[in-house]
Amino acid sequence: MNPTICILRIEGTNCELETFLAFRRLGASAEIVHLKQLIGAVKERERRNLRDYDLLVIPGGFSSGDYIRAGAILAARINGALGEEIAAFIQNGNPILGICNGFQVLVEMGLLPGFGAHEEREMQQAALTTNDSARFECRPTLIKHENRGNCVFTQGIEKGCIMKMPCAHAEGKFFVDERKRERYIQLLEDNDQIVFRYVDSDGTYASYPWNPNGSLYNIAGICNPEGTILGLMPHPERAFYAFMDSEWSRRSRERGKEKGNAYGDGKKIFESVLNYLRSR
Amino acid sequence: MKRVEVGITDAEDEELKRVSEGMGLSLSLEEMRRIKQYFVMKNREPTDVELQSIAQAWSEHCCYKSSKNVLEAFIFGIEAPQNIVVIKEDAGVLEFDEEHAYVLAFESHNHPSAIEPYGGAATGIGGIIRDVVCMGAQPVALVDPLFFGPLDYPDEKLPEEVKHPRFLFTGVVAGISDYGNRIGIPTCAGMIYFHEGYVGNCVVNVGCVGIMKKADLRRSMAKTGEVLVLVGGKTGRDGIHGVTFASVELTGEEEFRSAVQLGDPITKEPLMHAILDANEKRLISGMKDLGGGGLSCAVSEMCHAGGCGAEIHLERVKLKEEGLSAWEIWVSESQERFLITTEPDKVDELLEIFEKWDVDATVIGTATNGEENTPQIRIFHEGEKVSELETDFLLSCPVYVRPREVRMKEREGLVEIEEPEEYNEILKLVLASPNIASRDFVIRQYDHEVRASTVLKPMQGRVGKETHGDAAVIKPLEESYKGIAITSDVNPSFCKLNPFWGAASAVDEVCRNLTSVGAVPHSFADCLNFGNPEKPDRMGEFYECCRGLGYMASSLGIPFVSGNVSFYNESAAMRESIPPTPTILGIGLCADVRECITVDVKDVGNFLYLIGETKEEFGGSEYYKLRRVEGGIVPRTNPEVLRRSMEALREAMGKGLIASCHDVSEGGLAVTVCEMVLGGDIGASIDIAGVTRNMRNDYTLFSESNTRWVVEVWSEEARRFEELMNTRGICIANIGETIGEKRVLMRDSDKKLVNLSLEEVRKAWIGKIG
Repeated sequence: MNPTICILRIEGTNCELETFLAFRRLGASAEIVHLKQLIGAVKERERRNLRDYDLLVIPGGFSSGDYIRAGAILAARINGALGEEIAAFIQNGNPILGICNGFQVLVEMGLLPGFGAHEEREMQQAALTTNDSARFECRPTLIKHENRGNCVFTQGIEKGCIMKMPCAHAEGKFFVDERKRERYIQLLEDNDQIVFRYVDSDGTYASYPWNPNGSLYNIAGICNPEGTILGLMPHPERAFYAFMDSEWSRRSRERGKEKGNAYGDGKKIFESVLNYLRSR
Repeated sequence: MKRVEVGITDAEDEELKRVSEGMGLSLSLEEMRRIKQYFVMKNREPTDVELQSIAQAWSEHCCYKSSKNVLEAFIFGIEAPQNIVVIKEDAGVLEFDEEHAYVLAFESHNHPSAIEPYGGAATGIGGIIRDVVCMGAQPVALVDPLFFGPLDYPDEKLPEEVKHPRFLFTGVVAGISDYGNRIGIPTCAGMIYFHEGYVGNCVVNVGCVGIMKKADLRRSMAKTGEVLVLVGGKTGRDGIHGVTFASVELTGEEEFRSAVQLGDPITKEPLMHAILDANEKRLISGMKDLGGGGLSCAVSEMCHAGGCGAEIHLERVKLKEEGLSAWEIWVSESQERFLITTEPDKVDELLEIFEKWDVDATVIGTATNGEENTPQIRIFHEGEKVSELETDFLLSCPVYVRPREVRMKEREGLVEIEEPEEYNEILKLVLASPNIASRDFVIRQYDHEVRASTVLKPMQGRVGKETHGDAAVIKPLEESYKGIAITSDVNPSFCKLNPFWGAASAVDEVCRNLTSVGAVPHSFADCLNFGNPEKPDRMGEFYECCRGLGYMASSLGIPFVSGNVSFYNESAAMRESIPPTPTILGIGLCADVRECITVDVKDVGNFLYLIGETKEEFGGSEYYKLRRVEGGIVPRTNPEVLRRSMEALREAMGKGLIASCHDVSEGGLAVTVCEMVLGGDIGASIDIAGVTRNMRNDYTLFSESNTRWVVEVWSEEARRFEELMNTRGICIANIGETIGEKRVLMRDSDKKLVNLSLEEVRKAWIGKIG
């Protein structure tokens, strides 16, 4: 069965097209769906039901302008109007991917890190807050894949593999209250929830600019304990083909005639989750 | 009472002046007399709406009354097979491939940015995106050339009403970052230039490139019987008199803050989608964005273009606040609005699309021809007729041939300065100068990769070691490898000394940048920023710059397709005009983006060559500025040599001989080499002995002569490269090679000049403008 992908958008979402294309290039049946279509605020023929999709993607952008904390408005709107459907969607083991603003939304919704019942039931256990530089940062990042096999979005990627994809955000610093910091990091490690961490060109955990936002523990992406929900700040859809990479021209000569088939590191994430869905 | 009449038919000159001033019309006495005559003939008094409409239509900003004859003489009318719609609309439309066209628009937003930098810059982006969307195109790239006073300008020298360059700079960059990033269009090219002449009046230019199917092209034209629909944001008091404000000198008074519009990218973003969606469904006949002059200009220009009139009902316009008078609704420049014309039977379907995107859309009137011979625009407000004007009169804007005077500030010959004994220090100072140092911290505040189609980024090279690229390259279509190369440039210091050769140099540099990445220069847009055209020396600068641009572009056969003129860029407080600033936005096409060349050197053991001739041209150079001397001639250029050099260089690239390429501009050969090696994080050993004969070393290293590039040639291809360049008659000099040691070494035969580590070079270049 060909997986169906729901790429959610509202006003201010701005990475939906390239995210849609990433899935389409891999043969998935992807659709860009406005939140209004899911909550029924449109004409009958435009309505969509989350149940009919295998994967929900919240792409990058500035949902509703992000004039308050990034992702907060869309998170509140989804929780308010679509809370039950989302819970059922997750319950059925359907994966959710949040890229950049999508990651911020998943954290604001309380789905990430999503430690669950044995932790105090608070909506939000972490935050993605203002970059240490206090500026928007658009730059290539190197991220090391650290997941031990839990995350369905990276099962096709070797542990320890260093991948390159760009980030572009003003609020991407993964942050946990100081009192809980140690325990939460331990939990993330124990539950195999850490997926990507920022490293430098030698593969070492490093500070700015390699860690573009000052993220705690160099965290670039995490999943929920079940491994079905992934949020990450860098943009895999901007690293789908080799020619999107900031250094492609340094390798173009060796590649020579095969250039047409060359891919970037981001593609592996889309491939992995599609493989997961296809084998389910 | 909605109708307000203004008694002018009996008015004396003094009274006419008072009316113009009191109503904020910015019309001259001569123009007021013409209006008076018209209404005497009509045997009635004008209404406030009518006077405001005329003031908008006759503003310098809308009708180019001071510049038209010069533009027609030099800039317009360069024929090229790629032209589809050029000059006539807000954006130029050019052939991209058989099925697609690209769209190019370029504008200034200087006065608003000088008063309110954050909002001014943001709405500048909003406006230029609308210009592209209203042709029916999807915007794919933004370009932001910016010009400010020195960031370290002493506070005590600054007049009270002038805002500090650092405040303006920070605000403008934040405005672009906040608006551009939200709207989801990559800001991938631009420039930042510092010069004392911009202290009183900064210059903020913004360009946009779009892509479309040729079949989706829409014109800004209304036809009789069509329905006029206003879509997008609500109308308010923000941005009243933006165009008339842009058509006088800056006085620095805060009262003009109301002339700065407020931007809202989160209204614009769905608006853009809704329009492109509706256009694809063939529900739009014509459209125009509401920019300067608001509804007044959009309705009258669309009607005039289609030879019809219109009937408008202002009470239907959705307002931000109650109590706007008729004229305010009519001329408000509130952002994020378009005027759409559609056939009556398509209105419902059109409105439904906008509803789906949560964007307001309101039918405000119809295009009529009426019974008259001359079409009229009739405006009603709550049932009362508040304006009735013939479009022919409304758009019969005066055209002036302003007196001009050319004062050549250039002084020939070199100035006596001592040759430096220590080249390491002088090179570091040149690298750190404000117009050369790294722009990394600004560029990274702009999302230059959203849409995932930026194949060559503005910063190029090894990750963490990136250097300035010459041009960005966008791959606009999913199904094609064809690319659009984008760059913008001008050297205002050259233009100030010699406007003709300064402007010609801008075209040369834009062409060099495009060629550096392997693109064929294809079209230009021009944003012409000058002082008060009523002053003959300013007009002389404008005239000479246009002549220079026209000379180069027509010799090269590359058309100017769109742009704008921004006059009155001077502030009373500083008593001076900005340096002439004819900013050029250049577009080139690349057959296959995967063949593009970047700036960063690629490997150890490759050869470095300088292409082009190095001359003693130091007028306006960064080297002279650093040495605090004035004089010298600005670089000359020869379009024929430029054309041959570009062709030969592209041929070498096509044959796979070139590993990296960078044009030589500010700071000369020395800076070019440094930028290339920084990006590759690979050292280089340079010998300048073969570059010039009998020229001093500092002149050879820092000359800014035009039509030059440095190329890195793959080690095994050096012979083929030399042969190719020799057969094509292009002057080249082997200047050295890339080396394993991470150092920059420069010498003249046996004389050692520079010996610096890459880290020392990088540290100097990253410099201090942050």
